[in-house]
Amino acid sequence: MSWLVVIGLTAITFVNRYLFFSNQLKLRLGVRGQRFLRYSSFAVLTAIWVPIVIRLEYRPMHLDIAGWDYLIAAAVAGVLTLMRVPALFVVLVSSALFFCLRFWVLA
Amino acid sequence: MLCDASARYVIWRAVLDTLPLSVAVIPWGILTGALTIQVGFSPLAAQCMSLLVFAGAAQLSAITLVGGGSSILSIYASGFVISSRHLLYSITFRQHVQHLPLRWRLAIAFVLTDEMFAVSEAHTANTGTFSPSFALASGFSFYLVWNLATLLGIIAGESFGHLESLGLDFAIAATFIAMTFDQVRKMPVAMTMLVSGVLAVFLQPVLPDSYLIFAALAGMVVGYLLDSDVAPT
Repeated sequence: MSWLVVIGLTAITFVNRYLFFSNQLKLRLGVRGQRFLRYSSFAVLTAIWVPIVIRLEYRPMHLDIAGWDYLIAAAVAGVLTLMRVPALFVVLVSSALFFCLRFWVLA
Repeated sequence: MLCDASARYVIWRAVLDTLPLSVAVIPWGILTGALTIQVGFSPLAAQCMSLLVFAGAAQLSAITLVGGGSSILSIYASGFVISSRHLLYSITFRQHVQHLPLRWRLAIAFVLTDEMFAVSEAHTANTGTFSPSFALASGFSFYLVWNLATLLGIIAGESFGHLESLGLDFAIAATFIAMTFDQVRKMPVAMTMLVSGVLAVFLQPVLPDSYLIFAALAGMVVGYLLDSDVAPT
């Protein structure tokens, strides 16, 4: 299974990177296709991180946050990013806050 | 092409310009290496994943899906959707690389990441011309750091066991917030994030295999429809 994942993903990611570098390819993505792809990173990255912070259970119907440590630290990361703090510091500061909350303040 | 003094300057410029992004990716690489080990990959397979796939978001989502017991097809489908943004980078670079020999195009494509794309585009904007040497040097310096960081994670993951109980997945959330959230001021981006985030939360329990694809595509459709260049005003 693990090697199937590695080899398959290698092919998939490389094709996505190389496709339009190919001289064989005559087809081009139109303006509409490019506009659609413009939102792909926002859509995908958000769909990955939100369920880490907010988790839903259907049995019984119960929306729950993963924990106040996740929610507070994620909110701080969002605010720092909006303040145009460099990404490196956003990750370091919010992660430090997260671990303080998890193992010290809320423990 | 790579030997004279000006070419060496371009290479060092590229490495230095990429350095802040390389540092930022270290914790993410460590986490990826550790989590890959913990979902059952051998250390060799885990390192080969970083050496060959070299796509942080695709690697992390794939190992999350492996950990959740997803099928190989849904892992491939998610990997395709996540790395589909590279199609956009590939289109953008097409005009710059089309005339290059095949080995240059293959090498630049192999190291084409979000970070290399961003740094190279900035360099092109500053100098007025796209430099293949700059793009390659930026990409490979990032590649080196990513692989060393995942190696550290693989070693840590083997030594310490259940790292996920520490809440290291928060670093994924923090990194993705830092990479996207400053664009939330733009209405189409904000609505893309809202739709993708809400759908992901609601779909994950019922569609653990494919929630990512549906949530992402729905968000992209909403963003596209609200795009000021598309939407009637």
